[in-house]
Amino acid sequence: MIAKQKALPARPKPIHFLGIILAAALLSAYLFLPFANQPELGASTIAMITESKKANELGIFTNGLALIPFASLGIFLLGMWNVIMPKASRAISLMMSVSGLLVIAYFINFIKDYAEEEATYISQMGIGFWIILIVSILTILQILIPRGITEARYRITKLYGNQESIIVFGLLLLIFVIGVANPRFLQERNLSDILSGNAYIAVAALGMSMVIITGNIDISVGSLVGLLAVISGRLVVAGLPTPMAWLIPLIVGGLFGAFIGFLVAYLKIPSIVVTLGMLSIIKGILIIWTNGERVTGMPEDYFLSQFRPLGIPMPIIIMVVLTIIVALWMKYSRTGRAFYALGGNADAARLSGLSQKRLLMTVFILNGVFVGIASVMYSTQFNIIQATPPPGLELSVITASVVGGVSILGGTGTVVGSTLATLLLNFIRSAMIFINVSPFWLKAVQGLLILFTVLADLIRRRRQRL
Amino acid sequence: MRKTFAITLVLGLLVALFSVPTGAQDDRWDGSDDLETNPLACGMEEMMEEDAEEGDEEEMMEPMEYDGGSATDAPDMAGQDIVLVDVPKLVGIGYFAATTQGQQEAAEELGNVTVTTDAPTEANIDDQIQVIDSYITQGVDGILFAANDPVAIAPVLRTALESGIHVVGYDANSEPDAREWFVNQAEFNGIGKAMIDSLVDQMGEDASFGIVTSTFTTPNQARWISEMWAYASDCYPDLEWLETLEAQEDAVLSFQQAQTLINKYGEDLDGIVAMTSVATPNSADAVQQAGLCEDIAVVGLATPNDMKPYVNDGCVRDAILWNPVDLGYAAVYVMRAIIDGEFAPGDTSVMAGKLGELQVVNGSEVLLGAPFVFNAENINDFDF
Amino acid sequence: MTTMDKIKSTDAPMNLAYRLRSLLFSQEGVLFIIMIVSVLFLATRTDKFLTVSNLLQQGRFMTEVGLIAIPMTYIIITGGIDLSVGSILGLTAIILGWTWQELSFPLELAIITGIIAGTIAGFINGFFIVRVKVPPLIMTLATLALYRGLAEGISEAKSARGYPEWFFQLGQGDFLGVPTQLWLLIVAVIIFAIILARTQTGRALYAIGNNETGARFSGLTVDRYLLFIYTLSGFMSGLAGYIFVSRVSTTRSDMGTGIELDVIAAVVLGGTSIFGGTGSVIGTMIGVVLIQLLKNGLALTGVTSDATIIVIGSVLIFAILVNNFIQNRRLGM
Repeated sequence: MIAKQKALPARPKPIHFLGIILAAALLSAYLFLPFANQPELGASTIAMITESKKANELGIFTNGLALIPFASLGIFLLGMWNVIMPKASRAISLMMSVSGLLVIAYFINFIKDYAEEEATYISQMGIGFWIILIVSILTILQILIPRGITEARYRITKLYGNQESIIVFGLLLLIFVIGVANPRFLQERNLSDILSGNAYIAVAALGMSMVIITGNIDISVGSLVGLLAVISGRLVVAGLPTPMAWLIPLIVGGLFGAFIGFLVAYLKIPSIVVTLGMLSIIKGILIIWTNGERVTGMPEDYFLSQFRPLGIPMPIIIMVVLTIIVALWMKYSRTGRAFYALGGNADAARLSGLSQKRLLMTVFILNGVFVGIASVMYSTQFNIIQATPPPGLELSVITASVVGGVSILGGTGTVVGSTLATLLLNFIRSAMIFINVSPFWLKAVQGLLILFTVLADLIRRRRQRL
Repeated sequence: MRKTFAITLVLGLLVALFSVPTGAQDDRWDGSDDLETNPLACGMEEMMEEDAEEGDEEEMMEPMEYDGGSATDAPDMAGQDIVLVDVPKLVGIGYFAATTQGQQEAAEELGNVTVTTDAPTEANIDDQIQVIDSYITQGVDGILFAANDPVAIAPVLRTALESGIHVVGYDANSEPDAREWFVNQAEFNGIGKAMIDSLVDQMGEDASFGIVTSTFTTPNQARWISEMWAYASDCYPDLEWLETLEAQEDAVLSFQQAQTLINKYGEDLDGIVAMTSVATPNSADAVQQAGLCEDIAVVGLATPNDMKPYVNDGCVRDAILWNPVDLGYAAVYVMRAIIDGEFAPGDTSVMAGKLGELQVVNGSEVLLGAPFVFNAENINDFDF
Repeated sequence: MTTMDKIKSTDAPMNLAYRLRSLLFSQEGVLFIIMIVSVLFLATRTDKFLTVSNLLQQGRFMTEVGLIAIPMTYIIITGGIDLSVGSILGLTAIILGWTWQELSFPLELAIITGIIAGTIAGFINGFFIVRVKVPPLIMTLATLALYRGLAEGISEAKSARGYPEWFFQLGQGDFLGVPTQLWLLIVAVIIFAIILARTQTGRALYAIGNNETGARFSGLTVDRYLLFIYTLSGFMSGLAGYIFVSRVSTTRSDMGTGIELDVIAAVVLGGTSIFGGTGSVIGTMIGVVLIQLLKNGLALTGVTSDATIIVIGSVLIFAILVNNFIQNRRLGM
């Protein structure tokens, strides 16, 4: 079937950024405005409430406040994505509303709870509290705010317009359901741990998605991460300044990528073969070089992944920023769009004058650099760097990309999808433990959920087919 | 038609998903393949080393009969140069790098032994079997091994014995008749007791703890856990075992599983017991990064180098292990003693160089010693 | 001379020399030469390598990979892939052990149940790929996790041991001096090589690989063929699982982890293009043998495992490179 001719996407208009602005407002309010004007208590309202709630059973409501940064994160990503895919505006609105609804639900319960216990608390709520409440209501009203683009008639099926929507929906649903089943899941620390612990997989998936979009694959990611992590650690222990130890893995990763790209582009060896061979070669090099010796004794300022600028763990920041950059680049830059062309229809790409060989080299070099970034995130997480490659990493990364909607036939999918999918897959893993799924069946449940997500995507695609 | 079918199938999958035993905490895995446990006497001793001798004597009430195999028509190489191969579970991890170190030390001391370490790059039973098989073909004089699976490795080891090659195991045993002797780093029940005692000492007799292990199918871990639980049920019935999580041998996963335990149980979690040398430091890291060093005790098996940052910081009180360097060292000495005819079935002890005299337990096992407790006082004296 | 004579005289000479040359320089031929060269080289380094007993033993070890590589060849020829073979192997092994130990099935029945389970697993793969149109990579990636999870769940981390002696005949015994499972492999190779090269089924598979839409339009029952090969893959994985359990005398839920990469490496090495349309069972077998002999030969010359995997990885890339080069020259490109 002939693919629809895609016109160049319209330049983003200010109205498209509404989601981002709202999210930023929400997040800032949560972070910077005090909840209560009670300096004599010496703490913000959150801490105060947390203290009193500790006495009786862990209340979902105190910790529901923690949902705010995550809802705003979700809204932020969606808003970003709205910039990229303006046609899904209605879907975005609806989903932002859902997020807003969640936040409001928590607030209502929160207020109700305290209204029963101590009415005075309400009056003691600071201005920040009210701002957040109002912003949440506004996100609901978003759906009624007229959009700047003329749109086909609103259809609820638009909600399923993209694989990314399904994932976000699934994610929010999962968080909500598990949160109700086991409120401890919603603790800020838990959600933040899950996000930051697996951010490096999302970053590696950025590179992998680009590679898959061009119709290739890279299964040597795990070994390369292991090697680059050890390189980074050993450099800093040997006395090199920390920023160098962070940057050199990127360069080495890029070099490996160039080598792979050369073999694929110029010597025309299929990428699966090259990376299959490289998997073994890199692993062998790593084992022989380290001889099992782990790297320890890195200086304090090396642990990038443990920094928390503005209270947000560094890995999350890196993941979000890189996702946004890559998503925009893939959409609006010539090279990015050429990747899609390469994967979708190699002949057309060739005929249109783009140098196929150069494109392939570029994508593999980029992949190598992203693997380098992921390896730095990985190596700076703990006090010890292992001498073995992280097991099963390539499988996780490929699964994340594929579940995120990147088609293995090449040509479709976005990196936002792969990042969201990484989050979803890791939330599933953790969630299963929180609701006490029998430990023997954990993997089976994960596999089922992956299958389900994939099937949902397929059904969606078929329904949309002309 | 197809669509409806597919949708029905998907819904069916969902139903299956939610009918999978959730909340089945009775399904909690509690240890190995239903083998017998043998808990030691209760009570905490000040010095763990003394405890070992007591334990030994209890065990040795009736010395078991020798149940190991024997090499058929092995050439008499007494006093001659021998070539050995060491096939641990895998290469590339620090623990086995340490055993290799010990083996090389012993070889150097003895002067007439050459040991090479060769093992698969992943803990894979098939690869290990093929490696051993190739060395049988090559014709080495002796094989040292640490088995990935006790039953799977038995056939190839028996072939080795039949070819006249001596076989000695360490760290992870095989079926007794597939090898001549097994150097046991510590009794399973000794480890179990040491871990529980340390936990109780730090957090009290009613502590709740979670376990982070490698996989449910790793035999050593499974035995330790069942011994731990048997000991705890006997001596500290108020201890609550919350959950066991798998972390393979993956550092990141160990960290995340420990975090999950911390987040899931909150204040209810008093201790994390980590069963592998990868899980322990990473669990300690998780506790440290969460700022909960005072509230959660981390007890586990780990090499001193890995635990130095946490023990010196005061976050972890002790780490328990034996000395893997000594383990490798002893294995080579045992092999040399067998080949020289100085150590035979029925003996009750063997001389192992600088380690002195090692006792024979359980019929065909050589005991390295008691589990060693590394803490702030002694951890900086070690370097492995 | 008549025109016909002129035309005839410009035909390529169909004599023996030409036939031999094209055989030698075909993808399988080049690979065969590489294999012979490596084997001879390794044989000069150690005299324990080229002995009958050693080679037979290697044959024993490579049977599982060899059996699974046969349907994998078919699948890759059609442009698909099956990553779940290792998990199906593990699942079969677990079901074999579990039905025998927990459900007290007679052992023969347990074996059959295991293999049937494997076949059904393959069928489910095929069904979703063909009817629901899930891309093979994605489907088998999901079932990789799912089947492994099922194996873990059913087994609850317990192993099944203590099989009777006759059970080990397949995996550890010999028949007429040759390892029992090797006979199975040889028979399978002959059957499936003939099917691929000489029958309509084989031609259909090539056609599907070259142009699936075209194949459909020309009336081939593409769906049925695809369903067949994925089911066959499940069956072979199940059979390999049975052989494996017989060889190691125990069942573990992690059996077969990673075997899919070994299988795909062998298939690709054997000249099957990952894009579909070309390939042969013989080529795949040469690939399987080459990798196994390399691993063994290197080990016997004293190269440790960590260096061996570097060699294998390099050989993989190098062999494809050489083959590409020669094939391009042959085609005059």
